[in-house]
Amino acid sequence: MVAEGALAAGCRFFAGYPITPASEIYEVMMRELPAHGGLALSAPDEISSLCYCVGASLRGLKAMTATSGPGWSLMIETVQYALMTETPVVIALVQRLGPSTGGATQGAQGDVGLAEFSTSGGYTIPIFAPSNASECYELTLHAFNWAERLRTPIVLLSDKEVGMTTEVVDGGTLEAAAPVERRIADDTATYAPYAFENPGDVPAFTVLGGDVKVTVTGSAHDRRGRLRKNAPEVVEVLLHLQHKIDAHAEAMARVRQDLDTDARCLLISYGVTARAARQALRALRAQGRAISFLQVQTLFPVPRQALDWALAGVESVFVAEENLTGQYRAALAPFLGGKRVHGINKIGSLITPGEIVRAVEGLMG
Amino acid sequence: MAETSYLAPDVPLPYCRGCGHALVVRHLSRALERLGLPPRSVALTTDIGCVGLADSLFPHLHTVHTTHGRSTAFATGMALAEAVLESKGPPAGLKPVVLIGDGGAMIGLLHLVHAAQLNVDVTVLVHNNFLFGMTGGQHSALTPLDFATATTPAGNSTPPLDLLALLRAAHAGFLARDYATSAGLETLIADAIQFPGFALVEILELCPTYGTRWNQLTGAALQEIAARQGYWIGKMEAGPERPTFLEVFRQDKETRKSEIENGDSKIEEGRTSGLDSRSSNFDFPSGELRVVVAGSAGERVQSAAALFCRAALSAGLYTTQKNDNPVTQGTGFSLSEICLSRQPIDFTGMESPDVVLVLSQDGWNELRANGTLARCRAETLLYLDSQLSDIPPCGPPAQAGRAVRLPFRREATPKGAALAALAAWLAQAAILPPGVWDAALTTLPARRQEEAARSIGIGGRLGAATRSQP
Repeated sequence: MVAEGALAAGCRFFAGYPITPASEIYEVMMRELPAHGGLALSAPDEISSLCYCVGASLRGLKAMTATSGPGWSLMIETVQYALMTETPVVIALVQRLGPSTGGATQGAQGDVGLAEFSTSGGYTIPIFAPSNASECYELTLHAFNWAERLRTPIVLLSDKEVGMTTEVVDGGTLEAAAPVERRIADDTATYAPYAFENPGDVPAFTVLGGDVKVTVTGSAHDRRGRLRKNAPEVVEVLLHLQHKIDAHAEAMARVRQDLDTDARCLLISYGVTARAARQALRALRAQGRAISFLQVQTLFPVPRQALDWALAGVESVFVAEENLTGQYRAALAPFLGGKRVHGINKIGSLITPGEIVRAVEGLMG
Repeated sequence: MAETSYLAPDVPLPYCRGCGHALVVRHLSRALERLGLPPRSVALTTDIGCVGLADSLFPHLHTVHTTHGRSTAFATGMALAEAVLESKGPPAGLKPVVLIGDGGAMIGLLHLVHAAQLNVDVTVLVHNNFLFGMTGGQHSALTPLDFATATTPAGNSTPPLDLLALLRAAHAGFLARDYATSAGLETLIADAIQFPGFALVEILELCPTYGTRWNQLTGAALQEIAARQGYWIGKMEAGPERPTFLEVFRQDKETRKSEIENGDSKIEEGRTSGLDSRSSNFDFPSGELRVVVAGSAGERVQSAAALFCRAALSAGLYTTQKNDNPVTQGTGFSLSEICLSRQPIDFTGMESPDVVLVLSQDGWNELRANGTLARCRAETLLYLDSQLSDIPPCGPPAQAGRAVRLPFRREATPKGAALAALAAWLAQAAILPPGVWDAALTTLPARRQEEAARSIGIGGRLGAATRSQP
């Protein structure tokens, strides 16, 4: 469904390298993309995969690759290049158990920090996290649309249990967002590749190979793409890289919320664990508990408004995620306004609805 | 704008006095002028290092300044995109020209190899001055034997990589090596750029800052070094001519034409108005039904589960199928956890299974190891293959009340056992309307349908016989 979402978004270039549990996306794209007038090919490593995608994106094609944690580790250099050069690209990161080679056929949500905090300087990489096949389709489409709108790399973060589980999808219920194309510069006479007026603006794009000279660089540069040292404009450009993400944070924010105005307790989850959390929510409510639930689909930038809304009147927050230390809980902590925060964490297998129910019962009495 | 002047005429070159890089950019500029290429048809792709300063010298070319060693890979991506773009309109015919040093060639070696294999239209100029100049004169994989650098003060003892020999093995169509001082370099560069596939020119230089600092070099030092390494100078004779990536792509597209014309989205075709309309005419329990089927790798456990899920789907149910197996594909256990429901399913795991089907010892061992057996309840129904002989002393879990032993493997063969077991359970439980298997079977390739139908038939008879027993 990630591949189907990519095709619907207008993806026409894919470069991949085999890795469990992301190989199915690679295989489907190799099979389907040519029939859609695109090109899918095998790269000799994950570094090349993403470099090929960035090169193709510079020429105006919507591009994607798919990998898992070990491959993502190799891509981080090029992710930063895409961010610095404001080149749209989508990386589907299907998590597996780490560290290192870890467990290829075991799911996990352990790459949240590795994916988000992978840039020197700590720039925000937007991350969308689907919990099921339908959301894989919908959020892949959104990932492409936002990558194009914001000219930035975007991660679609799923895991083995979302990526490799087969499930029935009711096609009639799929949200169909129209594909978004990147804004092309119309004023070619004064074109500068990284031009913006307000720091939150997204520079218009011009295709590499067209009539207007394009200057691309991963080095610190001014609006014209010229390497500069100690120039105030270089810092302005760097600040703009973050501002353009921040300025669109609320527009990018996607959550599924199930709130109870009487709730003193809020359960937060994302990705595959959100499925267990939804089931746990029903069980806890069946016990007569007033409890709210927030499934975060846009992990980063953190959806602040939705979070504030869900937090109103709440005393305790539970964050359920399949990793050791509560990576997303730590990222949310600054925005939880002094609530009591509890992690529901586990590695090695799915967090079950029963485990969430027992954790909430244990602390809430 | 003097668009035909490639190298900015009035800009002082940023290189140290005597650096070969200055000669190379002049040769490159003249080569481009000689070819008469419009400036916007060239993407100068520069690597990290002194060599990477060149992008600021060509004001009218597209320039892409990249990360260390990756310039070839980015350029390959640009060239690959041409294949997609040319089917949309007039081809841009963009020529990526990569400027890279010996350090970049070392760290990005695989990118060079793959670009050569693909035969993409990328031209690479390797500025080989035997060391990392920008970082202080450290040696690289291309440093000659005995050459002294900051990191090989007594002389390099590791034999250098012969790039041309290596890339020849990768089927590169155009390979050449020359000195930066050579008058013929301009022609070599022009020929390389004009070559429709992958082309690489290795240019030998001496770094005037570090190369001369630790080595006693005479005027003919470069030639002597090249001779000592046995380096080929000039254009190397290429292997048999072979198609470029673009030509291969066009050919492939031609052969897949009908497929391309029918390449509409499967999602759009598959949009329905919900699953509920067909789901009310049979006796499926309320809530979710969770089934585990476990056996051995290679015995079609997961494909049997997939067929069963399609059968349930044809009855209008939601299903999920979560598979597990060891990292090796062909040995050990293989299992599928299936969930069925009239409503969309959230949790896909197996907190407490309703039905457990075990076809082999591998499957039994895994269910014991992963805790599934311990989570069975009194209502859990166990279907065990008759050949599972050594289940005791652990035995079927005490809390699981009902265990049925049937000869799935013997009757339906090991590869048909999982399907037979699912069919046996379905025949006994009668929770899906009759005929659901028929709908599922049509989704199999023709050669598999008959065999699968046989397994289902055997399982159905085994299950019905059990049902008729008291």
